Amino acid sequence: MLHTKKRKRNAAPSGFSRRALLPLFYLTLSFLLMILPLDGLVSSVKAVLGYIFIPQIRLSHSAVKYADNVSNTVKELLNTHHENRQLRQEIEAAKILGAQAEMVFEENERLASILKLQPSRPWKGTWAQIAYREPSQWNTVILDKGARDGIQPRSAVISVENGIEGLAGEVVEVSDSTAKVLLVRDEDFSAAAYLSPSRDEGLLVGGGSGAVHLKYVPLLSSVQEGDRVYTSASSSIFPAGILIGEVSSVKKGHSFQTALTVEVAPAISSSALKEVFVILDDKGKK
Amino acid sequence: MWALFKLFIAFVGATVFHWAFATAFANIGIQVSVMLVFVVAACTLLKPAYGYPLAFLCGLFLDFFGTKLFGNNAFTFCLLALFVYMLSERFDFESIFPQMVTVFCLSVFAVLFNALLLSLFTSSAVWQGFWSLLAGSVVNALMAPAVFFVLRIMLSKGFSSKEA
Repeated sequence: MLHTKKRKRNAAPSGFSRRALLPLFYLTLSFLLMILPLDGLVSSVKAVLGYIFIPQIRLSHSAVKYADNVSNTVKELLNTHHENRQLRQEIEAAKILGAQAEMVFEENERLASILKLQPSRPWKGTWAQIAYREPSQWNTVILDKGARDGIQPRSAVISVENGIEGLAGEVVEVSDSTAKVLLVRDEDFSAAAYLSPSRDEGLLVGGGSGAVHLKYVPLLSSVQEGDRVYTSASSSIFPAGILIGEVSSVKKGHSFQTALTVEVAPAISSSALKEVFVILDDKGKK
Repeated sequence: MWALFKLFIAFVGATVFHWAFATAFANIGIQVSVMLVFVVAACTLLKPAYGYPLAFLCGLFLDFFGTKLFGNNAFTFCLLALFVYMLSERFDFESIFPQMVTVFCLSVFAVLFNALLLSLFTSSAVWQGFWSLLAGSVVNALMAPAVFFVLRIMLSKGFSSKEA
């Protein structure tokens, strides 16, 4: 029994040797790996380790790559945050600009109303632009709107110049999308008109390249230069009260004449005409 | 088995962090070794029966990337494990200061010893300068408390020397 115990004690290594055995084993193994040639056993060991480590290396690499992507994403986020701040500032500036634009718009409306860019009377009609102008017939213009927009022949055409609303002419021909307007200066144009303040009536006729005349004004009329000429209620085409122009000169006729003829300077000059308002619903005049 | 799995996870984590830190610090010429800190920390927690094989395996992992010599890192890490087990009888690795001092000293030793082994076996110099050695050891020492803390949480059950 004792012998057996002694044998057991000899067989089992002591605490110190047991502790020394383990590091010794691994140190020897490492040392062997170091001294062995790289192309022999070591390469086989490396190949075996490759199966263990390569997935880990891939994992590590992809993790590092992911972390790198995360840092890039964070950078992008920070840049986005910076851009966001800049854009907010720009939006604030745009809001201020918008408010200013609104103020300008209101001011524009106010000034437009002051300048009477809209017809002063509640006529229904349509604004049209001068689309074409025949050089040989300077007192005739073609509008960019026609029957499709409700324009009919013999419609009155007015315009605004220097804030003054005045008669521009009369629609003489209409197609689907265009309308021909005979301007006040045209030789073929005529309209019943009256003088203000004398209230004397006459017939306004165009003069072509010459002056516009108001004919058949009573001899005893107190007409003077500067008197205003308006369309008369007796006109079959035009609504009453549209300004045509001002008297530019009064010629005293011969003794045998029964009426006066005065020269009128139209309120709307033919050459400056860009936009016109065509009156559409003046019932009873057409 | 569960404890071994946790150890494997810790090993994989160490390789990932080693890869990341080595790549990041290599750009500024500093040799950082998370694996070394991991081995030192693991050896303070694990029984020698697990600590030495782990140190050997971690060394082999680093050797796997080498081309001139194979086994030098395994040898160095086994020596480190031996030192840690010797020191653990005198040092209290529960507190931060001994952890950092140990890791710093062992980092310096590991770099110098590796350089010595390489010069002995391959006659090639791998000395990267005093700055790299010192800065790398400092970074390793600074990382040590975190690594010790994480490993203590992960390996607190199943491997501790007290339980053995």
